[in-house]
Amino acid sequence: MTSLRKVWVVAERDIKMFLRYKFLLIMRAIWFVSQIALFGLIVNHMFQTDVQAAVGGSYFNYYAAGIIIAMLYSTTVFIGYDIYEEADHGVVEYLLSVPVSRKELVLGRSVGGGLRSFLYVGPMMLFILYLIGISNPLQLLVALLSLFLFAFGVAGFSITLAVSIKSSDRFDILMGVIDALIVRLSTTLYPIAYMPPYYKGVALINPLTFAADFFRWGAGLESAASVPPILAAFGIVAFSSIFTFLGIVLHERRLEGGGWR
Amino acid sequence: MAVKPILTIVERDFKYFFRYKWWVAGMVSMNLADLFIMAVVYREMVNRNVIKDYFVFFAPGLTITALFAAAFMIGREINMEVRREISHYMLSLPIKRWELATGRVLAGGLRGIIYMAPLLATTLGITYFGTEGKIFPGPLEFLTILVTLFLVSLGTSGLSIALAVSTISFEKYITARGVVYYLLFFCSTVFYPIGLIERALPQLTLLARYNPLSCGADLSRAFLLRNPPFAPYMLIDIALYALIFVSVAMFAYMKVIQK
Repeated sequence: MTSLRKVWVVAERDIKMFLRYKFLLIMRAIWFVSQIALFGLIVNHMFQTDVQAAVGGSYFNYYAAGIIIAMLYSTTVFIGYDIYEEADHGVVEYLLSVPVSRKELVLGRSVGGGLRSFLYVGPMMLFILYLIGISNPLQLLVALLSLFLFAFGVAGFSITLAVSIKSSDRFDILMGVIDALIVRLSTTLYPIAYMPPYYKGVALINPLTFAADFFRWGAGLESAASVPPILAAFGIVAFSSIFTFLGIVLHERRLEGGGWR
Repeated sequence: MAVKPILTIVERDFKYFFRYKWWVAGMVSMNLADLFIMAVVYREMVNRNVIKDYFVFFAPGLTITALFAAAFMIGREINMEVRREISHYMLSLPIKRWELATGRVLAGGLRGIIYMAPLLATTLGITYFGTEGKIFPGPLEFLTILVTLFLVSLGTSGLSIALAVSTISFEKYITARGVVYYLLFFCSTVFYPIGLIERALPQLTLLARYNPLSCGADLSRAFLLRNPPFAPYMLIDIALYALIFVSVAMFAYMKVIQK
């Protein structure tokens, strides 16, 4: 029987551990400010009028909402790096010795991985929502809940990759490549309508597209969403279910018999 | 002047650069994704009266960003060395302080140039095939581009070292580095022309115009795209940037490692 209290203890530890990444947190925060206050404001003047109409009236609002999703993704994947670091420093042996079952441990990691980045991105998200303006609070609440689910999925995705690849170098390289591609091949930065056909296919099944479009729908930028909200919500649920499940199963399996070494 | 000890330091730092396989792979994929995905999509969105072809416009800018990021890496290592007192080992080497400092600054600059070289070749191809008159720089123009890029790289290496030795607190260093890095990146003509910055954020126009990244990008564009036209102030600006930050970095580095 899985104890929710124990799952929470593990998740709480991961949230506290996140504060160790001062480097990441500071750099991400500065990146966010410069993306919004410099890049976003300037490129807003660069586009044709039909682009402004296609993104719901203001590219700046469209871009700001997308940047939040990119930020949520890039901070959540850090749980995978934690798993490598713990294996390197012998912390896994300690974690296995605490009175928490394997299932509770891996479930807690997944919950903690998603929750901590959600808490970190939360204030920036509120700031962006303040800039955009909220038109339908209930719609927004649904979108925020789905983003929470999305963060779980990304944590599961990162854990799945971390436990499937033995070499931390390879994991680093793969995460770098995925990070570069997954954000740019989604609607976080631009709408699907302007993508060449060979990128559209990938963008349409990209979980970041689902998350960005659903968040925009929740924030009242319905006309800017390229994917219908029902489909985006379904995509987020499917993505998070698959990767949370995979992450938990693979991580649990790897913990047995010293597979992390 | 002893060249051999300087070359030894340069060689050491150069080898260290290729230890960061993950960083290099991440940077390469980020740069290529920016060029072949982001710039390709933006080309369809950008007002043609503002930028005729964003993909072609962005390619020289990307070369500068890649050069800047690679040259900036040396600061992170030096900050780590100062914090972990590895600089004491460096001081024990039979090398004069100024030779050590010269080697470090030079290595940072060379890293930028080597990392940027394949991107410059790609940019030459893009601007040749992407412009109506198939523009290719003449030998003197090409040499000017190379010298300019090397000076930008050298100045950036100096700037990052000066920042790195200004504090032993990792958090303060990271904050300062982030602010300088992103301010120079986004407040430049790397991603957009100066006219757009004037319209959107007029208070930043002066900084954007004399930002060495802007001068480097615009000078490259002047020879690769014939727009904006070449202006001597670009070269003077970059030479001053390199001179000031190389001097500051060498002086600060020699002072800090002797503490």
